[in-house]
Amino acid sequence: MTDRLARLKTVLWALIGVLTPITVLRFADGLGTVTNLSDAAPWGLWVAFDVMAGVALAAGGFVVAATVYIFRLERYRGFVRPAVLTALLGYILVAVGLLYDLGLPWHIWHPIIYPQPHSVLFEVAACVMLYLTVLILEFAPVVLEHPLFDRALFRGAYRWLRKATIPLVIVGIALSSLHQSSLGSLFLITPARLNPLWYSPDIWILYLVSAVALGLMMVLLESVLAGVFYGHRVETRLLTGLGEAAAVVLALYAGFRVWDLGQRDQLGLVTDGSWQSWLFIGELSVSAVIPAALMLFRRVRASVAGLATAASLTVFGMILNRLDACIVVFQRPAGAGYFPSWMEIAVSLGLVAAGVLAFLFAVEHLAVYEGVGAAAPREAPGVAPVAPADAGGVRGLLPLRLTAARRYSMAALGAAALTVVFVPLSGPRPRPTPVQRPRTQHGVVRGAAGSPSHRLVLADAAPPRPAGDSAPVPLLLLAGHRDRMAVLFDHEAHVRRTGGDASCALCHHLDLPLDRASACADCHRDVFDSTATFVHGTHVAALGGDSGCAHCHAPGVAKTYATAAACTDCHRTPAVAHPVIAAPAARWRSAPGYEAAMHGLCVECHEREAREHPGEYPVAMTRCAWCHDVDRGPELRRLLPRVAPGGQGGLAAGTR
Amino acid sequence: MKGPVGILIDTTRCIGCESCVAACKQANGLGPDRRWRGQEAATGLSATRFSTVLRLPHERFVLQQCRHCVEPACVSACLVGAMRKTPEGPVVYDPDRCMGCRYCLVACPFGIPRYQWSAAEPKVRKCTMCYARLQEGKLPACVEACPEHATIFGPRERLLAEAHRRIADQPGRYLPRVFGEHDVGGTSVLYVSDASLDFLSWRGGPDPQPLPALTWASLKRVPPMFLVVGGLMGGIRWVIGRRMRVAAEEGAAAPPPAGGAEQGGEGGRPHD
Repeated sequence: MTDRLARLKTVLWALIGVLTPITVLRFADGLGTVTNLSDAAPWGLWVAFDVMAGVALAAGGFVVAATVYIFRLERYRGFVRPAVLTALLGYILVAVGLLYDLGLPWHIWHPIIYPQPHSVLFEVAACVMLYLTVLILEFAPVVLEHPLFDRALFRGAYRWLRKATIPLVIVGIALSSLHQSSLGSLFLITPARLNPLWYSPDIWILYLVSAVALGLMMVLLESVLAGVFYGHRVETRLLTGLGEAAAVVLALYAGFRVWDLGQRDQLGLVTDGSWQSWLFIGELSVSAVIPAALMLFRRVRASVAGLATAASLTVFGMILNRLDACIVVFQRPAGAGYFPSWMEIAVSLGLVAAGVLAFLFAVEHLAVYEGVGAAAPREAPGVAPVAPADAGGVRGLLPLRLTAARRYSMAALGAAALTVVFVPLSGPRPRPTPVQRPRTQHGVVRGAAGSPSHRLVLADAAPPRPAGDSAPVPLLLLAGHRDRMAVLFDHEAHVRRTGGDASCALCHHLDLPLDRASACADCHRDVFDSTATFVHGTHVAALGGDSGCAHCHAPGVAKTYATAAACTDCHRTPAVAHPVIAAPAARWRSAPGYEAAMHGLCVECHEREAREHPGEYPVAMTRCAWCHDVDRGPELRRLLPRVAPGGQGGLAAGTR
Repeated sequence: MKGPVGILIDTTRCIGCESCVAACKQANGLGPDRRWRGQEAATGLSATRFSTVLRLPHERFVLQQCRHCVEPACVSACLVGAMRKTPEGPVVYDPDRCMGCRYCLVACPFGIPRYQWSAAEPKVRKCTMCYARLQEGKLPACVEACPEHATIFGPRERLLAEAHRRIADQPGRYLPRVFGEHDVGGTSVLYVSDASLDFLSWRGGPDPQPLPALTWASLKRVPPMFLVVGGLMGGIRWVIGRRMRVAAEEGAAAPPPAGGAEQGGEGGRPHD
């Protein structure tokens, strides 16, 4: 084993180490803890990279199988096994990635029992399941060649599988072309959300064609990397063949994409100078135009480095293409962004690392590449000490003297330990929206009380003291819900009218323990929902702990609210904390929502006063607009805590 | 119930009191409002709020909730049939089928469904037009609660007739369009309004095209495509194989063989 390979594996094992604690967190604490997903961005990195790009990267399996078994270009036979292995591992990773991404991963098999054939996603799921089966059968002979399986039973299976190769390949190609294209079709239903530079009624063709090119380039790149890490050599002529074929497909892809835009009169968007247009130009150049153009040069075609460069560009560009469509140019509500969390990125990297390690394991123990692993002339498989030939130049994170197993274990454990330090113990929870306490604003009273022109005006909004305005008075801004119908409330005027200090209890019916004049919002904590106000623990503590039960609960009876003594048994004298309970008994243990509480207090009283003192109070006092002055809405909202631009709700233009 | 039912919302009658929202929250047992990231406005739809009253300039109010499309994109998108269009009209959700793929959130043309992101067993949350209440013969909670009759319930056909009657009776009061009559193939929740409600959809404008049809145009090609690709591949292999055999036989008869099987295949390079 080379020094280089050992370093690579150390890094890969470290990535697995990072993955492990995040995996535990993901399944213990939910999607919200490890991802940055939201209702505005329901699909993130895991769908875009692990699934969308993952499936496309694994396309080499069916493309090379077609090349060799259908078009019978036997000289490419050496690429079949690595390509099928890549596909097999790629699809397994897609399935594993889905387990991370699905909200209810234990329902992943539901498409089998609840098929819904009008869903593109069902078609993708069915094809992926079937194709994964095909890939297992296609690759099984390679496994069965291992000496471990040298038994009669396995030899029979081996012969049978070899005979089934051609039908399997044909079914595999058909399934692949279907779901590769259907991954694009997933976006057909979102014509308004996907940017028109990416959306196309024929997007499925783009996804299929790009997958073919990407598959070829991946096989090319893997072959070059096998040379770097295992000394595996293939004739450059064959790599050139792969690259040229990919270039032709890429040219078709780029041409079709531009033609398709032109045919839909969207070409103007390419040059309109928006960031989306630059992203489109950059993505198409890197993924297709530049690699295809590079292949026009003989120097590039004939050199491994040149071919690898072109392949890398396509791989990068096509991954970018999937990320773009899923995330970057997929419309979100204005102001709602998405960038993957470091844990999402770590999971994606960790899964790739697992795939690469499995690939390397297979290469070393099975006959995948000619002349490497089980296909090597000699060299026994097994754990060899990682002592490189050129030990003089050893550099690395860990001493290379250690045996491979120990070295990798240390890398994985070290990375896992480091990750544990950084992962949060639990994630964010949905934030409650508390009711706002009233805030004091300065305003003036305009017009005589009871007159139709009577109203409260904020001081800073009023022109300098017109006649009839009162001196500035403190007004309470009852904002309840932050951006709802805020109300200006003249507390002092109400105190004066209702009888001075003696009138407090008309509205203020209960205080929190050890508090005076508790704000309404202290108990009426949600605008709509009633809130429990009885705190059992407080009572237990006040009544002497475990010996105090008998104050409320009779012995021998189940201890419930229903069987407990009435609150007024105690709360009737000034000796206890809250002697006044004005509310009906049914409401003692819970406070109604803020809106209901306010309306209950204000509307009831306004209606009664208007009824009983018709000369003094106008009928208008009973109407909504008396307090919720609609003309004043904007003026009041200016004072409320700012909400984001999307605060008006709706789906104002996002990325378009 | 006679024919598919729906809800008609008259935004000119709405006073923004949110009685519907309160009733909705109570009927669905949603508890206090809780916001998730990406949801800046306290009053936006959330997993704890299936309906909300949006404020437009000039004190206009719009009740936003699931539109219960006649041809729902979410139902078409769901691969396990967890989203279902009932014959009565409401679009309902079955958490026992759901996988949690969130394709419904992606597909909805009105951006309605919400997800319980931080839950251990997250579910999709959205208005069901109080389907359970409808089956008990009750009205949807929002309709029952509305003090101004701005939100009314009935068979969709009759609601449409009523909407057109209102527009015809008071042409100055309404825009001459029933929002939801044709949008995305029609919705069961309809609006008459004095301000454009196009902002409620991602499209941001009228679009009569039902979204599932866009998918189906591609999906219906799947079975034939499978057979054509499979047949084509088998056919190509057979033709090339035959040519190779013929070439080999001719080669054996006359000149010495050049490169054997490896040179075979006059199909040229792949994908040429």
